Amino acid sequence: MSIVEQEHLIDLEDLSMVYDGGTEALKHLNLYIRRKEFVTLLGPSGCGKTTTLRLIAGFETPSSGRVIFEGRDITALPPYKRRVNTVFQRYALFPHLNVYENVAFGLRLKKAPEREVRAVVAEMLEMVGLQGFEKRTVDKLSGGQQQRVAIARALANRPEVLLLDEPLGALDLKLRKEMQLELKRMQQHLGITFLYVTHDQEEALSMSDTIVVMKDGLVQQIGTPTDVYNEPKNAFVADFIGESNILPGLMLCDELVRFDGADFPCVDRGFGENRPVDVVVRPEDIKLVPPEQGMLRGVVQTVVFKGVHYEMTIRTGGFTWLVHSTLCEPVGAQVGLSIVPFDIHIMRKEEA
Amino acid sequence: MKTKGFAAPYAVWMILFTIAPILLVVIYALTDRTGRFTLENFRLFLDPIYFSVLLRSIGMALLCTLLCLLIGYPAAYFLADRHVDPRGMLIVFFIIPMWMNFLLRTYAWLTLLESGGLVATAVNWVLRLFGANEEVRLLYSYQAVLMGMIYNYLPFMVLPLYTVLTRMDASVEEAAEDLGAGRAQVFWRVKLPLSLPGVFSGITMVFMPAVTTFVISRLLGGSQFRLYGDLIEQQFLFTGDWNFGSAMSLVMMVLLLISMGLMNRFGDREGGGVL
Repeated sequence: MSIVEQEHLIDLEDLSMVYDGGTEALKHLNLYIRRKEFVTLLGPSGCGKTTTLRLIAGFETPSSGRVIFEGRDITALPPYKRRVNTVFQRYALFPHLNVYENVAFGLRLKKAPEREVRAVVAEMLEMVGLQGFEKRTVDKLSGGQQQRVAIARALANRPEVLLLDEPLGALDLKLRKEMQLELKRMQQHLGITFLYVTHDQEEALSMSDTIVVMKDGLVQQIGTPTDVYNEPKNAFVADFIGESNILPGLMLCDELVRFDGADFPCVDRGFGENRPVDVVVRPEDIKLVPPEQGMLRGVVQTVVFKGVHYEMTIRTGGFTWLVHSTLCEPVGAQVGLSIVPFDIHIMRKEEA
Repeated sequence: MKTKGFAAPYAVWMILFTIAPILLVVIYALTDRTGRFTLENFRLFLDPIYFSVLLRSIGMALLCTLLCLLIGYPAAYFLADRHVDPRGMLIVFFIIPMWMNFLLRTYAWLTLLESGGLVATAVNWVLRLFGANEEVRLLYSYQAVLMGMIYNYLPFMVLPLYTVLTRMDASVEEAAEDLGAGRAQVFWRVKLPLSLPGVFSGITMVFMPAVTTFVISRLLGGSQFRLYGDLIEQQFLFTGDWNFGSAMSLVMMVLLLISMGLMNRFGDREGGGVL
């Protein structure tokens, strides 16, 4: 089903970036991006995701390492010679030009014939749903419309890669959801590579082929949305991607782990015996059962109705669990918690 | 909250020192010494002796504004560059002369340019190297007056340009580069058009005081290069013809209003003038 090709389009080799003030924004990043892939760099602010994007766009020069594009080293190439285009966080439209001229900007620089300019601009505006807006000044447009102009402007140059720097950050929730779907549709329709930067895990999960989770300039995990969600490599990833219960545990032997005062069968092997580990359990993977059937017993502390499910916190002997359930138990009720082996994720303790 | 009352001191100030004087100027301009209504003052003004001074003032002010723009734009561009290191210090150096009264600065130029002064000596020394025999006199020339005007008014050009250039969103420039514009194209297609409000504001702020210049022209130009401002001063302080002086002032005011209106119209079209 995936249309991602195997060939590497971009290779980042051992990229490091130290800013003038001494801030290490990026530490020895190695990453490849394949043709037609939708890659998302996900992480909290200051994790190096935007720096990575700017290094690929050419706005920054790395302190060390190389940026390879289709096998060619482009580390020293200025932005205007790179076949990538950027959608900026705050759109960065040209306020002195109207919608048409904003979208035509790149084509005019290439001295494209007027007929081609007209055709491409029309096509782009149609794709982003802004036909009839040609003569409008950009600062009279709404945030969502400005964003569409920014996307059309970047795509009019027919880039190999579209770089998107938190493009939906300034939009309201409903619009953001719509734009997520539209961006994904455009990416598949045009068959070009998208490199998307966001701190919104939900956005990353719903749009990407590959997610790169970053923290403090280091890659934490690279994988498909399913991998990253279901098999987080460490506590940071587990915590950052979705909500989860993360608690210390002890790996007794292969396929048996102890946490919160009880022993649980699990599916993980190879951690050794009696090794301290971190255990991750997603709130939706915990089943509420009658107290006598539970692997753990606890008392309901809070209940919040979330629409599809109830979000509960349940206090057991040694931990307060976050549980999502379609069943509602009243506050103060005694409940049993049950977790199947497959839903218990074991992670090596992070070196402090 | 009612804040209307807060404006009272300013209202009094404005009535006493702006509105009343303007009314007086209008009244004086439209009357003769006996207080009768007349247009004679304006007819007198059309005399080529006076009118040519107005033209010279306008010409000099335009030239001064143009030169200030040509010197000031690159200077502001340089000062606004994020990568210029002791930027704060350079800007302070630029502003320090403005803290001094312009008369002091002009007197300083007087001593520099007069025969035997530092600049005059240096210029003549260089000229002699190229084989000139006669000493060139710098003071009391058209160039000296122009020089003094540029020196005094240049900061008024640089500051609005500097403001507009530093406030410019850096990502807009990056967007242009990203779309294929080299350094020169970024400048011509994005930076320059976006800095036009600063240009118009700078032009206004230099042209206005330049066209009403006096003292500078008298000190550095002697009696040959009298400007319109000197003429008005003369009517009030030496000739004592307040009616004619007022008429000339009124003409200048109308001229300034017109040019300000023009500038604001340009400024608005480019996305909001500063004045």
